[in-house]
Amino acid sequence: MKSLLVAYYPILIFLIIAGGLSVMMVVASLILARQRPDSEKLSPYECGFDPFENARIRFDVRYYLVAILFIIFDLEVAFLFPWAVSLRDIGVFGFVSMAIFLAVLTIGFAYEWMKGALEWD
Amino acid sequence: MALAPLALAVVFLPLAASAIAGLFARAIGDRGAQLVTCGAVIVSAAISIPLLREIVLSGGPHVVTIAQWMAVGRLDIAWSLRLDTLSGIMMATVTIVSATIHVYSIGYMAEDPSIPRFMSYLSLFTFFMLSLVTANNLVQLFFGWEGVGLLSYLLIGFWHERDSANAAAIKAFVVNRVGDFGFALGIFAVFLLFGSVNLPTIFAKAPEVAHSTIDFLGWQAPSLTLASILLFIGAMGKSAQIGLHTWLPDAMEGPTPVSALIHAATMVTAGVFMVVRLSPLFEYAPGALGLVAVVGGTTAIFAATIGMAQNDIKRVIAYSTCSQLGYMFFAAGVSAFAAGMFHLFTHAFFKALLFLGSGSVIHALGGEQDMRRMGGLWNKIPITYAMMWIGSLSLAGIPFFSGYYSKDAILAAAWASGTGVGRYAFSLGLFTAFMTAFYSWRLLFMTFHGRPRAGEDVMHHVHESPWVMLIPVFVLAAGATFAGYFMEKYFIGSESAAFWNGSIFVLPGHNTVAAARHVPLYIGLLPTFFALAGIAVAFVGYILQPELPARLAFRFRALYLLVLNKFYFDEAYDRLFVRSAFVMGDGLWKSGDGTVIDGLGPDGISAATRDLARQASRLQSGYVYHYAFVMLIGVVGLVTWYLVR
Amino acid sequence: MAHEALPVLAPAAPEMFLAAAAMALLIFGVTRPNGSARLISWLAAFALVLALLGEFALGGERRVGYYGMFVTDSFSLFMKTLVLLGSALTIVMGLKYNEDRGIARFEFPVLILLAATGMMVMVSANDLIILFVGLELQNVALYVVASFEREGVRSPEAGLKYFVLSALSSGLLLYGISLIYGFTGTTSFAALATLAAGTAAPGIGLIIGIVFVVVGLAFKVSAVPFHMWTPDVYEGAPTPVTAFFSVAPKLAAFALFVRFMIVPFAPFLSEWRQIIVFLSIASMALGAVAGIAQENIKRLMAYSAIGHVGYALIGLAAGTEEGIRGVLVYLSIYFLMTLGAFAVILSMRRNGRMVEGINDLAGLSRTQPALALALAIFMFSLAGIPPTAGFFGKLYVFLAAINANLVGLAVVGVLTSVVASFYYVRIVKIAYFDEPAAPFDRPIAAELKGVLIVTALLTLFFFVHPGPLIGGAKAAAASLFLR
Repeated sequence: MKSLLVAYYPILIFLIIAGGLSVMMVVASLILARQRPDSEKLSPYECGFDPFENARIRFDVRYYLVAILFIIFDLEVAFLFPWAVSLRDIGVFGFVSMAIFLAVLTIGFAYEWMKGALEWD
Repeated sequence: MALAPLALAVVFLPLAASAIAGLFARAIGDRGAQLVTCGAVIVSAAISIPLLREIVLSGGPHVVTIAQWMAVGRLDIAWSLRLDTLSGIMMATVTIVSATIHVYSIGYMAEDPSIPRFMSYLSLFTFFMLSLVTANNLVQLFFGWEGVGLLSYLLIGFWHERDSANAAAIKAFVVNRVGDFGFALGIFAVFLLFGSVNLPTIFAKAPEVAHSTIDFLGWQAPSLTLASILLFIGAMGKSAQIGLHTWLPDAMEGPTPVSALIHAATMVTAGVFMVVRLSPLFEYAPGALGLVAVVGGTTAIFAATIGMAQNDIKRVIAYSTCSQLGYMFFAAGVSAFAAGMFHLFTHAFFKALLFLGSGSVIHALGGEQDMRRMGGLWNKIPITYAMMWIGSLSLAGIPFFSGYYSKDAILAAAWASGTGVGRYAFSLGLFTAFMTAFYSWRLLFMTFHGRPRAGEDVMHHVHESPWVMLIPVFVLAAGATFAGYFMEKYFIGSESAAFWNGSIFVLPGHNTVAAARHVPLYIGLLPTFFALAGIAVAFVGYILQPELPARLAFRFRALYLLVLNKFYFDEAYDRLFVRSAFVMGDGLWKSGDGTVIDGLGPDGISAATRDLARQASRLQSGYVYHYAFVMLIGVVGLVTWYLVR
Repeated sequence: MAHEALPVLAPAAPEMFLAAAAMALLIFGVTRPNGSARLISWLAAFALVLALLGEFALGGERRVGYYGMFVTDSFSLFMKTLVLLGSALTIVMGLKYNEDRGIARFEFPVLILLAATGMMVMVSANDLIILFVGLELQNVALYVVASFEREGVRSPEAGLKYFVLSALSSGLLLYGISLIYGFTGTTSFAALATLAAGTAAPGIGLIIGIVFVVVGLAFKVSAVPFHMWTPDVYEGAPTPVTAFFSVAPKLAAFALFVRFMIVPFAPFLSEWRQIIVFLSIASMALGAVAGIAQENIKRLMAYSAIGHVGYALIGLAAGTEEGIRGVLVYLSIYFLMTLGAFAVILSMRRNGRMVEGINDLAGLSRTQPALALALAIFMFSLAGIPPTAGFFGKLYVFLAAINANLVGLAVVGVLTSVVASFYYVRIVKIAYFDEPAAPFDRPIAAELKGVLIVTALLTLFFFVHPGPLIGGAKAAAASLFLR
């Protein structure tokens, strides 16, 4: 039991440092910076939207589609990096596995495309 | 020749025909239903004869297993057919009689609006009867037993728009239930004793458990005797023995073919068959055998007495059936199982014949059943008249008709058994023979002779039945005349050991059938003498001096009323069970059930449950966070349980 | 250069085929004009049947693949048969409904195929990781089908509720897996079994891990108190989806549940039995009581499902081979009668619209006697009244419980089944004795009629020849206890 806890020791240190750092930054800005709020500064900031409208408007579902598509291919790249580096060691099996994985992703992508989900109008 | 496919065909053809006639009645119509069912049962009957021959020649019981039924713990039951001489004979008897009655019904029921239903019921009945006689375990036997009981109920109440038919059907069902309760207890007892309900196992183990005892209602009973008596109570219900006989006369409310098939030739003999089938059990239970003999003998004379005073033509024959079943039982009771089966076999023919004949009479008179409104019919329907004569001669046991061989064998065996019970049965049987002959000829004379007592217009329309009704009657008449003579040597004569082939078990010292061949000559002649005397008395009373019976009835008024009213059995049962049950039920219902049990039980509990139900569905608020909260509480609760326990 | 040996893939061939079929149908469907849903549905059902044949070809012999993470045996064969049949039948049964509602899209059968793939993986999982992969593959497909009628109000609501709560339960399950891994150092069932066999009593950490996994699984089988989603989702989802939910995923999750409890942790029976007994009693009681107040037949079926899960859990609580056999028999019979009941519900159309109220069944016996008879058979069976199949299902689990000294549990089971029979029999009463409501539309679709007839006959005449099912369940249960 004890050795198990010891193994988690670095994580504890990591948590302490992370927590401490963020607390320190907020506290530091409260103490060190000058506080001069105005309405512009206090209003919420949103990228790409008019900040003077109600925040609860409906916005286009295609945002989500694109975002999810982005995440999927982003993750694909995250897989591809270690795969590319170790391709020499994992041989044909590794190659074929990744090929199947990419094929599956492509099928999904093709479906979405043919459905017209990516057309903006 | 392979036995299995033949046997399967015999048993399942009627089932298939019944299903077709019943389910596709609209598609095939009345004629189609008649053709399908008659065809199937005739084929079945045609196969059953070579099948019987084959079984006898190949010896030993064959078991055709169809499928596993259930295996729970030690209970292991299969759907199977047990083929030995006993079941072979029963299959042949049942299918042949059933075939003739199927054909007869075409004519008899021609005017009925629901022919397919009737034909389907008849065939289904045949199937259940066959599965009863071929059972290789008690549970399948019970299956067939209940099946024929159900069909009996449905067919007695076939004309369900009549109140009396419905009442009779319910009565038959309820009275049989009493017997079935005994039968079921018997099966449990057998399972308790033998650890199995399969016949081969039971038969093999019977000698071992013969002397054990069993605790029954706090009484150390000899186990085998107890089990046998319980089973016999079942047989008493189905075969209408004294005490449980009251349903059979009322069952005559059903159409006449039904009376012939179910309430004369086949179903009511199931009890006899069961006792014979379980002969290895009963043989080791002498107490039970004695009871069988006493009940059988008593029923024989008791029912015959009532039969002498009845005026409804079918009821006379019904009481006669009751009485003949008594003969079969006391044959079994004195270990003359083979003689009992022989009588069962011949009785099936002549009794079905008598019923069909009386059916023809009723048919001719446009539905009249009261013999006091008949008479003088003999020259109008001569064929029916002749057939009734043959049936009566056979029933009375007049030499060289079938009934003579079987009835004499029974009486001789009873005498030869040499026991007190045997003598009791013998003497009662002798008087019964007298009375049997008397009421048979009383029936003949009242129906066919004397001056016509029916109305002018009715007599005008009297006509002989169509050929489709007469031909089956001829077949049965042939059986009633010759079956005894030709089959005697197989059933009870020189060939009997090879014929039965061990399917009936008799302890070495009990072989009364063999002993019966050596009784003194006067014992052999007595029954015939008594029968002839009965005929003579009937002739005097109903032809020579028709006013004599009325005078006698007036003179011995109390006795006459007692007999006419069937010894007041129905009234006694009504007073004793039915009404007291009503009173008790009423009291329990209103005070016990209504206030106490409903108030605290169902009503109270159901109100509480409804309340709970409302609460429970209120928990279902529809908010996801409530649901998540409940889940988390569950998790926390479970984890806490494991942490603090 | 160390080449990894190729893993043994043969045992998973049907799963791979099904996944490939799903993708192929997806592309095929999207390239065709609208209106090809019926064709693709039949193709999907065909693919499921092929996969089933593949499973039969593999047989009930124990095979291990993917480095021990994936296993096929009699147990998996038995459960996959039910899962695949259930999936295929619900696709077919839903055809007409989807067309009537204007939601006959080809994605529906494809999603069912994907869910079925996930379920098969669940059934065969021999490792905590694979367990989770299969579960999630199934879940994601289910979220979508639950909200398949996206133009409506209730269906998306149902999908969303299911998604949120299921995500929560998956999180709990995953947390449990990580705890188990943390305290034992392995995720393999085989290694866990070896470990458990060598340990007298499990540590508290491991137990908490097991509890969390059980909670996750209890959610999937909708055992109380993790059942809250069930009534809302059953009512809200399109009826074919509800039918699907109540058979295939439930059975797959149950298979997973049983395998997870028995294969690695059988030695800890006395520890985890308490939680199963609790879940069982709570489910039976709630299912029996809450069903009484329902007016919507789909919602009623939800409570009925909760109750039946409670009965099946009795067998698991027994933890013996006999108990598992009881679970399998129970589930198969539940499968039969539930499919049949949903076939009846899918036949409840009036003037082209589906109706779901229990009172809409009033007087059905006079307007559609055959349908009423089938309904009565299913209701009597669900209530467990002999000689219908439902009685035998209960009989086998109760017997197992009694033989495992859980008499109290069996008694509670009998009592709750008495209470529950109220609402089943009430439906029969409404169908047979109330004044007829307006008749339903005729004719009933041929697919539905087929399912109705077969399930009704099997339910009614199960007792004639129960041998094959009982025997199969026995073999399947035995294969879990092989060491």
